[in-house]
Amino acid sequence: MSNEPTPLERFIQGIIPENPTYRQMLGLCPTLAVTGNLKSAMTMAGAVLFVLFCANVIVSLIRNILKPHLRIVIFTLTIATFVTIVDRFLAAYMYSMSKALGPYIPLIIVNCIIICRCEVCASKQSVIHAGADAIGQSIGFALGLGSIAAVREILGAGSLLGFHVLPSCWPNWVIMALPPGAFFTFGLLMGTVNWFVSKKEKKQNNA
Amino acid sequence: MNYLIDIFLIAISAALINNFVLHYFVGICPFIGVSRNIDMAFGMGCAVTFVMAIAAFISWVVTTFILIPGAPVTTFIAGIFLPAEQAKAVDLTILSYIVYIFAIASSVQFVEMYVRKFFPPLYKSFGVFLPLITTNCAILFACLMIMSKVVVDNPAEAWDIGRALVLAIFGGVGFTIAIVIMAGIREELDMCDVPKPFQGAAITLVTAGILAMGFMGFTGVDSGLRKALMPKPVQQASITPVKPDDAGPSLALAHKLVIPQQEQNDK
Amino acid sequence: MKNNYILQAWLVLLLAVFYGGSLAGVQLSLSPKINENKINETRQRVPALVLGKDRANEPVEIESENIAVEKNGRKVFYNVFKAVQDGKQAGWVIKTSGQGYGDKIELLLGVSPDMSIITGLFVLDQKETPGLGNRIADPAWRQQFVHKKTDKKLVVVKTGAKAPNEIDAITGATISSRSVCAIVNNTLSDLKPKLAGVN
Repeated sequence: MSNEPTPLERFIQGIIPENPTYRQMLGLCPTLAVTGNLKSAMTMAGAVLFVLFCANVIVSLIRNILKPHLRIVIFTLTIATFVTIVDRFLAAYMYSMSKALGPYIPLIIVNCIIICRCEVCASKQSVIHAGADAIGQSIGFALGLGSIAAVREILGAGSLLGFHVLPSCWPNWVIMALPPGAFFTFGLLMGTVNWFVSKKEKKQNNA
Repeated sequence: MNYLIDIFLIAISAALINNFVLHYFVGICPFIGVSRNIDMAFGMGCAVTFVMAIAAFISWVVTTFILIPGAPVTTFIAGIFLPAEQAKAVDLTILSYIVYIFAIASSVQFVEMYVRKFFPPLYKSFGVFLPLITTNCAILFACLMIMSKVVVDNPAEAWDIGRALVLAIFGGVGFTIAIVIMAGIREELDMCDVPKPFQGAAITLVTAGILAMGFMGFTGVDSGLRKALMPKPVQQASITPVKPDDAGPSLALAHKLVIPQQEQNDK
Repeated sequence: MKNNYILQAWLVLLLAVFYGGSLAGVQLSLSPKINENKINETRQRVPALVLGKDRANEPVEIESENIAVEKNGRKVFYNVFKAVQDGKQAGWVIKTSGQGYGDKIELLLGVSPDMSIITGLFVLDQKETPGLGNRIADPAWRQQFVHKKTDKKLVVVKTGAKAPNEIDAITGATISSRSVCAIVNNTLSDLKPKLAGVN
């Protein structure tokens, strides 16, 4: 524990090296469920950012008075509260989006990313570390969601964020918008990411 | 009779058509993580089904009697302090997520204690999965689905406890089916020569995609079944308004007899 | 010993009170807005459904009521909006739903004041197959229902609608098209006797 990562390192680590979607494989339900189009994926990522940031900061603030055997209860209580707040907020200001995301917003409560970051990082480190970690992880999560959603929306509807990007002769691959398309896209993207990582490691070993 | 058909259709829909894993994408983490061999997958499936049923029961009771506006318990307690009109309007649904997650956590605890004490062999086979289940999205999802069916504008359409339990149990069965099929495929996959970057999760996801495509074939089965099983109400509904302008079967027959002649004339 | 448990849990209790307070604040400040959203979702469609697309911006007074209909021994509820313009009734908008191919389909159906002509159809919620069944929400397809008379049941045909009560099916989504038609027919036969004589 001598070389504690600085807040900046924590921040960067979440984005690529410890990407929650591709590397840690956490929080897969929303990754597959809300990636039909980029807009809903980004809303989801925003909601996760808010919940993760608040939960991480609060857990980090009370880390010294936290009883170890009660910590999971406190994590759950904190997360559930902030998820409720996000849910109501979306219902009030982005009603159609909240209707489209439906049960997947409350499912953030059981999203492993948040409870895992609370446990691994926030309950041991200072508020700044925890906050930076939360933002880094959320951006990593947004990247994961965004990549899948972009592929699915472009191939499935020929558009991105509602704007047409492919020529109109493009036959929309309906399957991409359906559940199987989510699995295919995520599986293929994950294979690609693994391939890049192994190639990079090989290079490093050779050098 | 209608009720039984309803229950049956909810069961089919939860287990196959809108399979929790392959249609709603909930419970993906154990689906990828635990589906390495069939025995483990089956144990996990049973544990999830069991906990889901208990959590669904608790959440239905809490939602119906405490959380929704006009729920009996809340109305009674609030009635002590407030006039009756206001007491009926007390809306506690904002607490629902917190209540559900704690209902799940505590039911997992109780199931674990109970099973460890009374069924040690059972505990050995699927006890290890129990703590994992608390963060399984499938169970919270079942609770949320039941909530969306109970909190409706029209009180006559709210689901009763039977429907809620059937949804939860068959949702669990659907989860078990999906995870056991996946485990079977993965046992075979281990013998295959998969490209290195795709080994592990990636190939599992692609396989799950093909499986999801198969399950998509069930879409629409429920509306077809409903039509097949419920001939009576449909007939009643159609006969009464149609009668006046159709004038009975004899005329309809006459129509049929006339039509071929007309066609011949056209030729 | 008993005291000890409470002492240990003081943080949990304190947090619970704190969170409870903040949730109550959220509820008080946001719930009027959420309810307004829910109501507006249907209400803002009413003018276009009753008066037609071109006159959607004209001011219309809306009265909402719930109507119960006895059907096969079961009570069915309909949320009905009565649109009034310049003191005269402009039409009805009925919120109705039924089984589609995938899941429930929710519709808003606009009908003339004497319940004789359909003036508009809007799909509020549907989970039909993307690319096929979800084209029931396309304005072009929905437009077929406008100006249809309600004295005969609407029928879905695959080979090009000719008769006045026929609706073209969507290619590859005959069941979704039929479901919408069936919902419209059911709603009209349920409510016609109740609403036609009101004015």
